[in-house]
Parts: sequence; structure tokens; C-alpha cells
Amino acid sequence: MSLIDYFPGDSSIHKLDPRVKVVALLIITVSIFIISNFFVIAAFFLACLAFWRVSGLPFKKIKVFLKFLLSLFTFLTLMQALFLPGEHYLLNPLIPKSVPLIGGLGRISLDGIVYGLLLSLRLLTLVLFMPLVTMTTEINTLALGLVKMGLSYKIAYMTTTAINIIPTFQNETQVIMDAQKMRGLTVFEKGRMLDKFKAYPALVVPLVIGAMRRAQLMGVAMDARAFGAAKTKTFINDISIGFLDLVALVAVLVFCGIGLAFNFIL
Amino acid sequence: MAEIIIKIENLSYRYPRTKKWVLKDINLEIKQGEFLAVMGENGAGKTTFCQCINGVIPHSQRGKMKGRVIVAGINTVESSVSRLAQQVGMVLEDPETQLFTTRVRDEVAFGPENLNMPVPEILERVSWALKDVRLEQHADRQPTALSGGQKQRLAIAAAIAMKPKILVLDEPTSQLDPVGTEEVFTVIKALKDEYGMTVIIATHKSEEIAKFADRILVLKEGQVQALASPQEIFSNTKLLKENWIRSPQVSELATYLAEQGCPLSSFPILPQEAIRLLTHWYEEAET
Repeated sequence: MSLIDYFPGDSSIHKLDPRVKVVALLIITVSIFIISNFFVIAAFFLACLAFWRVSGLPFKKIKVFLKFLLSLFTFLTLMQALFLPGEHYLLNPLIPKSVPLIGGLGRISLDGIVYGLLLSLRLLTLVLFMPLVTMTTEINTLALGLVKMGLSYKIAYMTTTAINIIPTFQNETQVIMDAQKMRGLTVFEKGRMLDKFKAYPALVVPLVIGAMRRAQLMGVAMDARAFGAAKTKTFINDISIGFLDLVALVAVLVFCGIGLAFNFIL
Repeated sequence: MAEIIIKIENLSYRYPRTKKWVLKDINLEIKQGEFLAVMGENGAGKTTFCQCINGVIPHSQRGKMKGRVIVAGINTVESSVSRLAQQVGMVLEDPETQLFTTRVRDEVAFGPENLNMPVPEILERVSWALKDVRLEQHADRQPTALSGGQKQRLAIAAAIAMKPKILVLDEPTSQLDPVGTEEVFTVIKALKDEYGMTVIIATHKSEEIAKFADRILVLKEGQVQALASPQEIFSNTKLLKENWIRSPQVSELATYLAEQGCPLSSFPILPQEAIRLLTHWYEEAET
């Protein structure tokens, strides 16, 4: 259950050059942030689903995460519906506008719902694009891609290691939660919100201490294998940008270009 | 007479922000090709001792260090961890934290890559190292998918790919089952026999130590309690008790027999010796 764990595969997305993937993701992310038209975002969303299909990544892996997002989106849309001022109302304001401060509240605005849905879809699309890079690229290849894009290899490794360690943290969180449950800590399952907050140190303290210990050991292990000994580092896996990589990059550019154009015309 | 490869002189060390010396005035010489086991209860300073040899102390781990550690003619204080890494390979206790790539082959290549070696040479070293630890069929698998014993063997491969003269292993089998333990020790022994590699291993596994080690160093609260052959250490009941070291089962049997007033003619530490001595003992009892 992770957005980041490398998922081995043989798809054309797996085979793309990591540089192309990173650049494409950047372009797409920026486009999605600029675009505010619902239909264009929907087109991006559909394209994203198509990419998922091609990549062969299983949706199952992120099911829990999607569930969490769904509750977030519901909340987001609800807030917009209740508080965003608009022209069309499903339910007219209960409190007249003339009342100071809370005037105009107690309504359900149609514009708010549409805006909430747009925000949600935009977020969802953004979130779904990321695994298409992180889950289809091996960590070493990603590091190599970053190095070839001009990053120093130490920084590249810092980045990729940080990404790579997130799944480990997720596992560790689960282990700690289970351990605390076995000692009779039930708040995470059925406690009230306030009790949950109070109980968080029982989870966070061991997690942070464990993380620090782990980071230190990892540093020792990397040092012991001469990390940082030479100014440059060789990589046994070479990458090169081929014809297909260029095609993919151009396709992404064209798609985003059309999307942006439509966004401003419509 | 083999040459001295590690020379430790008056070594003391304490961790930052603590007052207690974890290592106290250690003097030791280790010969090229020697198999040295470091034993002692938890907190005796075994890990700290191991980290002093490959320069993690004092380079990555701050704190106060006194004395000198000379490894293959290099003073660890004046060198760097990455330079020492070509002399000393290190294997840690936890199989997880020391593996950080997504492919067995890349894991082994990581060290030589850092030395900026040409690719063909790295590939040659990778296949050689994987063969030595008998993981050549697993080159394309993910390290996380390996068993505990395989993971530790991979860590060994990653260390020897740098062609070090010395291999330091810090409790490499404490999280492994008997099969994994056996695998790891067999590989270490083969490396020592084939390349004359000097091996320093911190461990609690008495049976394996009895079988493989040339000498045992017993640490207690950072001080050298004893430095002798396995035979001498395992027959010293008082020393073992004081340091919470369990002797091999056959030695325990011999100690028990001696306590019951029927001592064996000599003190066994290996099953074969024990069988020989016991057979002899029975034959004598019959006549």
C-alpha cells in the first residue's frame, strides 16, 4: 500500500528514460495547476487513467489511499458548497445578507459544488500522475536520471533515498500501531478525536527514534562502501534518450499545449 | 609468520554527550588472514570496536577517541571512511538498513561505482562477488525479496566487491535462523580460505566460533577481558560466567562431566572432538 514502491514491470512507461518521465511529470503538474476548466481537467484525468492502464500498475495498491482521498474530497466539496458565494443556489441563504458577519450563510451554492468537484478532480489527477513515475522507475535509474540532468550525485541520492524510505516508514507505523494495540491501546480504532491526538506520542516517538537510528545506520553502511569517495560516480546501468522517448515527450507537450489552449478559449 | 595488518594502540572511545568510556585502553594486534571473534555481553563495546576498525569512528560518529588504530598501514584518524572502505569491508547486524537499492546486482555494484571504476571492471567484480556468496542466480531480484541469510550474504558480496583485505562483521547472524547462520559462516570461511581475508566478527554464536575462529577477544565494559584461542576461552568456566558467554554444547557437557568427577582426557569444543573423547572415555570405563 504505497504510492512509491517500485512495481516491477515491462510496460512502455517502465522503459521510458527517467529524465523524460521527470520532465513530463513536471510539465503535466504545472499544466494542471494552470488549467481551471472542468472539462480539460477531466481530459487529463482520462489520459491519466489510460496511462495507468498502459503501465500495468495495479489500482489495488493505492486503494486505501484513494479511500482517504475520497473523504477529503467530500469534505472539500461540502465546504465549498456551504461557504463559496455564488449566483446559483440549491438552497437559498437562511440568514439574510443584512446580518453582519454571518449574513448569507446557511446556503448550498451550486457554484460551490462545481468548484469543489473541480478542485477534487484536479487533486486526484495530480496524485494519480505521480505513481506513474515513482512506481515505474527503479531508484537507481531515477538517481542516474537526476545526475544526468546536472544534479550532483550526492543530492540525487539524498532525494531518491528519501523517496525510497517512505514505504519503510509506512510499514514501521503499522508495526508500532500493532504493538501498541497489543498492549491495550485501542484509541486508534475507536477513540474520540481528542483521545487520538493525546495518544499520538505513543506512535510518533518510537517512529521518529526508529527513523533516526535507521538513518544513522544507513549512513554508516553507505560510508562503508565508499559513498562520496570520488567526485564523480560510475553507473553500471546506462540510460539514453531514444526515439520513443522523444515521441513521448513531444506527445506530452502537445497534449498539455492543446489542454492549455482549450482552457483559455473555453 | 604472517604480517600484522591491524594494530590497535591504547584505544579509548566515548560517545558524544556521555561521560562513560565505551572502550578503555585496548591494545591488540591482528595478523593478516586471522579469524578473530569478538564476544561479550550486550553493551560490552563490540559494535563500537568494529566501527573503530573501518573508521566510522571517529569520522562519521563523533565523540572522543584516544589512541591509534592502524589498518593496513593507514592511521584511521588521518584517513577517511571512503578510503578505508577499500581496505575494510563492513557488514552490519540488520539486513534491511544496509541494503538500499532495488536490485541485487546494483547493490553489489554500489561500492565499486563510488570508486569511479570503469563499468566492465565493476561488472566483473559484481559477478565474481555474487558467485563467491552463491547468489549469482539472484542477480536480477529485489533485495527485499531475499531471505535473511541471502540478504546478509548479499551484504557480504557488496563489501567484498571493493576487494578489501579485512572483513568486519557486526553480529551478522543475530537476526537469522540456524540455516541462515550456517550459510553466512560457510561463506565467510570460504573467503578466508580462498583469499586469506582477515575476518573480525562480533557474535554470540559459540558453536560456529569454535569451528572457525583462530582467536577470541572477550570484551567487558569496554575492556579486554581475554584474548586467546577458542579452546582456552571455552574451557575457562569462570570467564564465561562473568561475561554471560554460552560455550558450545559439547563444552558444556565436558564441564558437567568434570563437575561430576569424571573429566574427559582433554577439553572438546567441536562435536567431532567430543565424539572421539567420549568414545575413548567409554572404552576406558569398560576395561
